[in-house]
This record gives sequence, structure tokens and C-alpha cells, in this order.
Amino acid sequence: MKRLLFTVTAATLLAIGVPFLGSAVGRFDNRLSKEQEILQALNRLTFGPRSGDVETVRRMGVAKWIDLQLHPERIPENPELEAKLKPLESLRMESAEIFKQYGAVPRALVPQFTPLNQLLSQEQMRKILNGTAEERQSALNDLDPEKRRKVLPMVPPAVISTPELQKELAEARKAQQEEQQKEFRRLMPPLPDLLTADQIPIAQRGTPEQRQALFASLDPVKRQQVAGALGPQSLSGFPEMRRAGMAARQPQQVAIADLREGKLYRALYSNRQLEEVLVDFWFNHFNVDEAKGSDRMMLASYERDAIRPHVLGHFKDLLLATARHPAMLFYLDNWESISPDALQTLQVGPFATGMNLTQVLGRQAHGLNENYGRELMELHTLGVNGGYTQQDVIEVARCFTGWTIRQPNVKPEFQFASFMHDNGEKTVLGRKIPAGGGEQDGLRVIDMLAHHPSTARFISGKLARYFVADDPPKALLDKMVQTFTKTDGDLRAVLETMFTSREFFSEGAWQSKVKTPFELVVSAVRATQADTTDSFALVQRIADLGEPLYGKVEPTGYVDNSEAWLSTGGLLGRINFATTLSAGRIVGVKIDASRLDGKDTATMERELLNRSPSPETQAAIENGLGGKPATPALITGLVISSPDFQRR
Amino acid sequence: MLTRRFFLRGPAIVMAGAGALPFWLARAATAAEGKRKILVAIFQRGAADGLNVVVPFADKRYYELRPTIGIPAPGPQNGVIDLDGHFGLNPALQPLKALWDKQQLAIVEATGSPDPSRSHFDAQDYMESGTPGVKSDGWLNRALTPGGPDTSPVRAIAMGAQLPRTLRGVHSAIAVANIQQLRLGDQNGASALESMYANTADAKMGHAGKDAFSAMKMIQSLTQGNYTPAGGAQYGQGGELGRSLQQVARLIKADVGVEAAFAEVGGWDHHGNEPPQLTNLLRQFGSALAAFALDMGDRMEDIVLVTMSEFGRTAEENGNSGTDHGHGDLMMVLGGPVRGGKVYGRWPGLEKEQLYEGRDLAVTTDFRDVLGELISGHLGQQNLGQVFPGHKPGEPLGLLRS
Repeated sequence: MKRLLFTVTAATLLAIGVPFLGSAVGRFDNRLSKEQEILQALNRLTFGPRSGDVETVRRMGVAKWIDLQLHPERIPENPELEAKLKPLESLRMESAEIFKQYGAVPRALVPQFTPLNQLLSQEQMRKILNGTAEERQSALNDLDPEKRRKVLPMVPPAVISTPELQKELAEARKAQQEEQQKEFRRLMPPLPDLLTADQIPIAQRGTPEQRQALFASLDPVKRQQVAGALGPQSLSGFPEMRRAGMAARQPQQVAIADLREGKLYRALYSNRQLEEVLVDFWFNHFNVDEAKGSDRMMLASYERDAIRPHVLGHFKDLLLATARHPAMLFYLDNWESISPDALQTLQVGPFATGMNLTQVLGRQAHGLNENYGRELMELHTLGVNGGYTQQDVIEVARCFTGWTIRQPNVKPEFQFASFMHDNGEKTVLGRKIPAGGGEQDGLRVIDMLAHHPSTARFISGKLARYFVADDPPKALLDKMVQTFTKTDGDLRAVLETMFTSREFFSEGAWQSKVKTPFELVVSAVRATQADTTDSFALVQRIADLGEPLYGKVEPTGYVDNSEAWLSTGGLLGRINFATTLSAGRIVGVKIDASRLDGKDTATMERELLNRSPSPETQAAIENGLGGKPATPALITGLVISSPDFQRR
Repeated sequence: MLTRRFFLRGPAIVMAGAGALPFWLARAATAAEGKRKILVAIFQRGAADGLNVVVPFADKRYYELRPTIGIPAPGPQNGVIDLDGHFGLNPALQPLKALWDKQQLAIVEATGSPDPSRSHFDAQDYMESGTPGVKSDGWLNRALTPGGPDTSPVRAIAMGAQLPRTLRGVHSAIAVANIQQLRLGDQNGASALESMYANTADAKMGHAGKDAFSAMKMIQSLTQGNYTPAGGAQYGQGGELGRSLQQVARLIKADVGVEAAFAEVGGWDHHGNEPPQLTNLLRQFGSALAAFALDMGDRMEDIVLVTMSEFGRTAEENGNSGTDHGHGDLMMVLGGPVRGGKVYGRWPGLEKEQLYEGRDLAVTTDFRDVLGELISGHLGQQNLGQVFPGHKPGEPLGLLRS
């Protein structure tokens, strides 16, 4: 009897236990169907399949298609993309040129003063500034009133010794203010100065056609001024005008606008989708915030010159490129990290504290800054549990002293400044770095970290979490680490190991990731075959959903775990975006819902999702329509809002 | 008798018209529950420099360690605002002085976590989990008493695009960047959408969707139009935090059942050029908190607000007029029930041998002791072992009036 009980209990436990075990292990062992494999590859290696993509991959064969994406140089680029990127000039410029063209504060915003020595002769100046009271009075009286009005606001208060002078000074200041306002108005005219009373409402609130006609009727100079007066927010749908207006009024914003709009166009139109996905991934990994100082002026170069060339190359090259780029040196403060000993040596002659020259030199560094040293190990290479200590952080920071920027804000290039460098002996992760290494110290650290076993594991883990699932299985990670180590960090090889693994094509990886706001918006526009003539509105939407592009403040970049994006406001925001997009109300995005005309609901759903939605979604749509006609716009909105579409 | 519950469970036709939930009904439903107690948690992300927020100006070591960025003693215009002869507020926190004088504001010094991590992200995760060294769900979620079928879907709210770890857990919590977002722009597919998310086999999506739709229904009609803060309170100078707290205030006053609220302020990671940046941040910070207290007025009797940061910063300034990652920090506690006008906690001192690892302010009060007192004394959650597993509480601080 006991035996029976035991057997029954054991059987029950086994019955409960095995499915649990089965599901935990089995998810990543159960292979997808051939059709699912195609969609899986598209969902992960692109920003979302467009109509016809499934057919293309099927004909080529999944393996061959993946291999092609891993070699973007073999893929002819979409000419449409080039056309859309053309006006975004700053994307092709060196940082120095961006500073020159877009870095200046507009003249109108800087009050212009004529210095005293240009208004007065030497003798007049002596009399007014240093003479006796009579000399001062006579010299001032001798000036014609116009000149006196310019001089008075420029002299020290002590010179304004009489009530008459004070009164004149007050009037002079007032006149000066008025002149500045006049000048401001001349350089940045408001709309009433530019357009007639009839034209203004059209410019601001007319239909797109009316506005287009009005803008086209103006000469280029006036058009730019009108654009500046209207402001970027009211010029959605008019990309060229908007850019011209920004260049005149807020030139620094042009740099970041070009980056954001460009990123959208690339994601939407590039044929080299995997390359774009990787640039997004690696920028996020080596995150820089556009809002810090003038970092935004250096990001075009950062993404184009430090990140993009290496996404399918060797990790150590990517790491070094980011370490040396002024954008990163500035963002994580390494550019101003200086050996405390160096400072002692500097405290001499004109550089000694207390001398005027040091005040003139402005803010200057005073010692070691740990920020880059820490994040280099914690976020870029080893990972937080990768085996480094606080002492290592300090030692690494010491190694990188002197890695700085030549002429920030003017000609930002990497420069090693040996006088800033801490030349002592250091110990990093147990290895001694002998004294006198100079620039080599930093290079040795880069080399050590790139080849550290924790790095192979950390990077493989990040890639697997992004491309496979939030909880990738150890077997896959082990394979990727092995490839990483064997190939000296060849990222293409590691990706190939991952994309050809059975885990990648398993149930565990199927629809396992929640799309970020960027991924949702781009995949929705791609799925609906929309044509984007102005990506400005899309950039705004993505920011509203919580992911301002290039705008992550912290060096961690945007989080890569799905739960993070499933907030109440976020979900409702996505639904609202889907509805607005489908109704054709996102400015600059032309949706062609008519291509779905005449099709039944199930067909429409399959075309948008490239598969049938889940039974629950299908039922909800059918029942929820409540007799209303299943128009393409309505179905499109519902499909893109569905839980099915939120995943990739 | 119609109840709020009826409307919450009702079909989508409830959403068909704006203002579907009668205002009087919501009031009637909650009136019987009495005045709910509310805990507001504010997280300063980036490791706020406590030593320059509340300055130990009487400790001369402070000025030795911070020759450039130290804040002058009380007296000059840019000097600290004297609190008790030992500590002073950063002058940018002027709006908080009145709350200190009214004894609604308390400060707990040298607080923090026993975990030695100086990684922002780990330390934030540990503090938000309330389990140093381990990442789990949120202490504030665990602090909520068990709910029932009538529990408000918005009893726990976080202001922001993503639900912070602090509020993750078994109880429903919602995150919104802006309560104006909590409405569907187009009602046409509303019932189909709600049903999609209610029935989906995708558990996480279903959960998120359920929260979204019930929160939306609850709040939609009660937050139409503009909001005018009481007492002339101005949130405009409070930056992002001001905007968040204004919405928290609005939701509390709408009597929708808010019990726990969360907001965050970033940008405290001042490795370089700290003084002007910290001043700017503190101006907004102080203004936001003061506006909230003014706006809530008498309701502050039911509210406790607590601030925290993942760790403090190095006692000594670094090479760039800034500070690096440290250890001990401070927490502020604000509210009607608070025994304010006092600095709590044992000051460990700033001599080298008194500093943690010779560089940071030491921790003499575990942050869980501060939070624990507020959770049990204010929210009424007595099972602290469940909120802070594995933690043995220290000496009670006496932060709340009995």
C-alpha cells in the first residue's frame, strides 16, 4: 500500500515536474517551422519586414540571406535613401566643420558693443577715465551727443559723477537697449515684419498645399526668415524650410536634428538593414548623450567614424575607436583628467594659482577623473561583475590621463598630452604597467580589456539579449564566447555563430522581445508601406514614447529588457501612435491604405503581420468591430496596436 | 447601490463618452474609506552629493576637503542656510527653509546601503529592491498592504515612461510620463483593443494592457481640463520633478486611491564642474518639493515624501571641481506627520580614519531603517520582514509624530 502511494505520489510529482522542466529546457530546443524561420530572421536582422520581404528571403534561402546581410558591402544601397539623406549635410561633415557652420551663437543674440578705444582718442580716454573732474566734464561735453551716448554705458561707474551724467546714462542705456532690440528684430524678424496680415494665418495654419504655395512664392532669403520666425515645431512636413529656419535661429539644433532624422531614414530605407541595426546597438552600448555640452556637434563623426566602420569588424578596434573619439572623451570627462603630480609641476610662473593668467585661462583641470575608467570596465568591456575593483578604476583612470581633445569646440581631434599624463607605475587587474609608458598605458589597458575573458562573456551576453531573448540559454552563450575568443573578437563571426544556432531559430526566441519605441515606430511604418518625406514627426513620437534618439543621459544606454517598455502610458502611447499613423495623420508619412482595399480582414492582418495574428487578437478584432465596416485604416490601426505587433 | 467597482468592470461602452465615470460616484465610493495615507518616494539618480546639499559647515574638515567647491558658512549671500548650527542647506534650497521652520522637513544624515558597490546601476537596483546585493522587485510595491477586488488600479503610480524597479512587484502599479497621455485618442477600436489585451495569451502584455485600460478609465473623466494648484503654488520652477509632482498632486486630489507614488530626477552625477550644475538642480528640486507641499496644503497631514539617492560622493573634491562616486549620503523626509526641523542620524565625521575606505562619508543609518519607519508608521504595513527580507532593523529614529 505504501509502495502504491509512493508510486502515485512520485508519478504525480513527475507529471507536474516534467512539463515544467520540459518547458524550461525545451523552449530553446524546439525548432521553428521553415516559415517561422524566415520571419524570425527578418524580425531580428531588420527593423521590421516590409511587404515582399518574406518572399525575397524565401527565394534566396534564409541562410544565404543572413550571410548577405553580414556582408553589407555586397548589398547595393537603396537610392531613395541617398536622396533623403542628401539635405542633412552635417552628417557628412567633420566635427570641426560642424562647429564652424553650426556652432556659433547667432549674431542677433549677442549684444554688440563698440569698445572705448575705438570710440575715443588716447587723449580723450585719459581725460575721461583718469583725469580730474573738470577734465572729465570738459572732455565729455566736447563729444557730440551721439558719441557721448555710446561712451557713457562703457565707462566705470565712478566717472558718472553728476546727476546730469546719471540721467544721461539712463537715457543712453535705454537708447542702447532699443538699438539692440531693433538690431535683433532686423536679424530675426517676427512674422508681421515679413508677411502681410492675410499671409500670416496661411503660413501658420493653412493646409499643406496653401502653405507650400505661399512659401514657394517667397524669395530664398525671406523664406529662410519666415521659417525662422515660424519655428521648427510648426514646420513638420516642410523639412527644407525647417532646416533653413533652424540654421538661422538655432544652428546648434541642426546638428542633432540631422542625426535624428537621418537615423529614421536609414532604419526605414536602407537595404543594409543588419548594419543599421548594429549601428543602433553599438551606439547604445557605447552611449554618448547629445545634450552634454557640445557633444551633439561631435556625434555625426562619432557614429560615422568610430562606430559604423567596426560593427562587423573586431571588438578591439571598435573599443579603441570609441576610446579615442572626442565625443566619448568629453562625455565621460576623460579629456580633463590630469595627473595630480602634473598639476604640481604646473604651479609655476604664469600658471601658479593666484596669478591673473590662471583666472584668464578659465576653468582648468585639477586632478584625476574616474568616470571613464569606471564605465570603460563596467559598461563597455568586463561588465559590473567582470572582476575589477575600485583600485582598478583608479589605476585605469591614471593610465588614460593625457588622452584629451585638441581644441575642443573648434577642432576637436584626439591628442595625447604628455604633460597631463601620470607616468608612474600602475597595476591593472593584477598586471603591472611599468612607469614611463605615456600614451601606451591607455593602449595597453584597451588591449587587456578587449582580450579579457569577462569581456567575451559580457559582449556575447549583450548581443544574445538583443538578438535572441531576454534570457538567452547558457549553451548559446558558451558557443558565442568560444567564437569570440578563437577569432580575437571578430564580431561578424560571433554574429554568425548566433544567427546559425538552433537557439536563434527556436521557440524560446520566437516573438520573445518587446519592441522599443524606435523599433515599434519604424516597423509600423515599414509594415504599412508608408512613404516618409519628413521624419520629423516620427522623431517626436519616439521621444514621446520614452526613447529620445541620441538622448539617453546615462552611459548605460537604453535598457535592453522587454519589461522596461511595458508601462501604462507607454502602451497607450503606442496605441495612439498606431491609430494616428493608420488614419494618415502623421505629418510627413504618406500611408497608402488603398493597397489593402477590397481585402478581407484576415488577409489584411496577414499582410501587415506577415503571419496570422494570435487567435485571441483575431477574435477580439472580429467581435470588437461591432458591426462597423472593417476599413483598411481601422484594421491597420488595430493590428499595429495589438500585443502581437508589439513583439519582434 | 452602484459602486465604483461596477464601472471598473463594465464593458467598453463606458469609454464611449468622455466623463463616463460620474464625479460624485468616485467621491462617494472613496469617502467611506477615510483619508488614505500616501507615501511619495523621490529617487535622485546619479548619486547626489549630499555633502553639498546639506552642508556640515561646522566641521572644518569639510572646507579642507573641498577648497574649491565647498559652500561658505552662513553669512554671505552664497553661504548655506543655517539649520541647526552644524548643518546648513545649500542656498539653492531656500524654498525648503520654511518647511524646516514649520517642522515638516527632517533630514537624516549619513544614510545608505551596506553594499559597497559604486556602480550607479547596481546600487540603484539594490536600493530600489530594498535588498542590498540582490536585485529583486521593488520595496514600495512590497510595502503595499494586500489589495482586494475594489483596489484602485492607480494605487501605485510612477511618473515616467518606464515602471521603475521600486514599484515592480505583485501589486499592480502603473507608469505614466504624463497623465494626459492616459486616454485613447480614437474610440473606434477601443473595445476591440481592450478585449485583445484582456484575452491575450501573452501574459506580460495582458498584464500591461489590463493596467493600462483600467487606469485609463479611472482617471480619464476625473482629470479633464487644466489644473490649478492650491495656495498659489507654482510648479513652473521645479523642472521635470515639478511637472511630476504636480501630476501626483492632481491624482491625489482626484481621490482615485493613490497610496504610493514615485518620481525621479536625474543628472546628479557631477564628476566635473559641480557647483553650477548642482545649484541649478537644487533650485528646481527645492522649488518642486515646496510647491507640492503648498499645493497639498492640509492634505499634507496624510502624506510623507522621502528622497534618496543610490550613494553619495567622495568627501574630497576631485581634479575637475567635481566629485566621484562615494558611499554615505542623506535622505529628506517631508510631510505633516513628520517630526521635522531636526537632523537625524549619527554624524560619523570627515577625518580620514572616519571616512569609508578613507574617501567617502560613512553610512551610520541603513536606508531601510528610514523607509521601514515610514512604511510601518505611516502606511501601516507592519510586516517589515517581507518588505526588507534579511534586514534586522536598527534603533528607531523617531521620524514620525505618534
